[in-house]
Amino acid sequence: MTRYRKQDPEITRRRFINAAMGTTATVGIVSLVGVLGTANPVFRLTRDKMPPVEGDILVHAAASQEGDPIKISELSEQLVRAWPMGKDKDGNNLIRKGDPNNVLAVYRFPKGQIIAPTIMEATVDGEIVAYSDVCTHAGCSVADDDQTEGQMKCPCHSGQYDPKRGCIVVGGPPPRGLAQLPIKQQGDNLVVGGFFLANPYPFTESEWEARKEAVKAQLA
Amino acid sequence: MNQWLDERLHISRLNDKFLRKAFPVHHSFFLGEITLFSLIILIITGIVLALSYEPSNSLVLNSFDPGTADKPNMLPAAYHSILKLNAMPFGDMLRRIHHWMANIMVAAAVIHMMRIYFTGAFKKPREINWWIGLMLLIFAALTAVTGYILPYDNYSYNTVKVVYGIAASIPWIGTWLAQAAFAGNFPGDGIIPRIYGYHIMLLPGILLALTGAHMLLMIKQKHTQPQYAKRIAYKKIVGVPLLTQQTPIMLMLTLLFAGIVILFAAFIPVHPSEFFGPPSTTPINNIKPDWYLLWVFGALAIIPSFEFTIFGGIIGAEFVGAILLPTVVIAAMFAVPMLDVSKDNNYYAENPTNHPVRLAIGTAFMALLLIMSVAGYKPDLISANILTTANANTVLWILMFVVPAVTYFGTIGIVRGIRALREADERDAHSHAAAADD
Repeated sequence: MTRYRKQDPEITRRRFINAAMGTTATVGIVSLVGVLGTANPVFRLTRDKMPPVEGDILVHAAASQEGDPIKISELSEQLVRAWPMGKDKDGNNLIRKGDPNNVLAVYRFPKGQIIAPTIMEATVDGEIVAYSDVCTHAGCSVADDDQTEGQMKCPCHSGQYDPKRGCIVVGGPPPRGLAQLPIKQQGDNLVVGGFFLANPYPFTESEWEARKEAVKAQLA
Repeated sequence: MNQWLDERLHISRLNDKFLRKAFPVHHSFFLGEITLFSLIILIITGIVLALSYEPSNSLVLNSFDPGTADKPNMLPAAYHSILKLNAMPFGDMLRRIHHWMANIMVAAAVIHMMRIYFTGAFKKPREINWWIGLMLLIFAALTAVTGYILPYDNYSYNTVKVVYGIAASIPWIGTWLAQAAFAGNFPGDGIIPRIYGYHIMLLPGILLALTGAHMLLMIKQKHTQPQYAKRIAYKKIVGVPLLTQQTPIMLMLTLLFAGIVILFAAFIPVHPSEFFGPPSTTPINNIKPDWYLLWVFGALAIIPSFEFTIFGGIIGAEFVGAILLPTVVIAAMFAVPMLDVSKDNNYYAENPTNHPVRLAIGTAFMALLLIMSVAGYKPDLISANILTTANANTVLWILMFVVPAVTYFGTIGIVRGIRALREADERDAHSHAAAADD
């Protein structure tokens, strides 16, 4: 048998195939990454996803009375969960529950019990106070503490907050307290006085500033 | 018919190559098989469930309780289809079997892994199969997590919210990653279709591919032989062939196992969706992940809060507890075949007492995970007045170091005792034999 040997003048078959396969793989992976980019849909800040804004009415979040405005007489030292209710473009009532992180905790304590660092101007007569109800740790809804009266506890990883002291963290893993929401009394109802006074879950400070600007720009 | 097939497909070659594979006869060698049976039953029940499940979180009218015209009772379609599924004959039962089977599959896999670890079966040449096995465990856990999000009841909703938060806690890329993985800001309109895709296509595909590789490597490399094989025929493969001797044993085991799981499912309800209700703002008291993720949950509960920024990325307690710590633990498990090396190919399952340090590290590791899982019950321990809010973290942190240390030294001590007894036995046997010779 003759051994067939030939010097390829330009490129060997092996090198050509290797280069071709390498190019194909690279192009393939780049296009796959491009396609994966579309896995993340664009976020549109619709009105139902906006955080509570000035003028929103607080309504019940509990399923049985969802959407009913909260009356001051219904508040106590037991947590009442609330949604902010604003208006849509046509002026109809719109509960802002498109973002579940909008849920609020409302308390009414006897006068004098709410102390610093709670921001008193943002409460109603130093008696009624509202916070974001979303734990700053992993984003669970925070509930009343069944062990210590008048405190809040997150059922997920037992983060604890003190609603009489501006919802600072008094135990567990949360990195910061719950954000206080300024509220005003209007007749028998509660009305939001402005944005959260600190960044609520899941915003960082800069993201929160950006979100506030976006909301203002859209509502203006 | 055999001949007909053989002439066309050469199945006798298949028979020689695969179906005569020798299986060692020892009960600890059935654990991997039980995991495989669970996977098969999960796939079958999963297919039947998928026939009636509606993968969507858009709101539909609750057909069981439509409400009134101006206040209609709307539910997410996925949750609604679960209510309908529960109302079907054996529908709830199917869900329970599927859920129990998932829990038990992971349990069987973990015990199977313990057998591999303690008998040194991960050593050369089987390191690759150890790594494939670990990937199977990780993907099984991911499949299970995506699975209990699908009913989209309040429990699932709270779970996926925490999972989303964990993904978003990864510094730099977290927010983008969480949005890409869960179809937008939580809860995106496409979250359930996305997770459904993961749970029924992507993850089972990966699981099946890895399982196939795991089996092929096992056939190629053969099981480690139990110690008795050394006495019967040194360096020979001892065992019963897959066809026809091992097959009836496997069938019997499958049926027995399936029966037990079905009994479990019949008498112990699991994930009662109707009880949890549709997604709402009311948190679920004592929410817990499935048992094999409790240790991560426990770590999250006892890691104190902190947050610092490096190069614009925020590193917080959540990231450290739920991403960094499991990564370290899994990396340690991946490193096992590189830490305990043998030069020659390992034929025989090793007696754990001949490797006391490996045994002790293994038991200490299990003790650590156990204590972390107990830490997951921190709120329950506090409400049962066993611990107080003030001392819970301190006590649990101390236990996390003390219990594994005690386990380590305890194991070493017990192994020493066992070996001393065995040596004494051998001396006795020797002297008796010597006496009989006289």
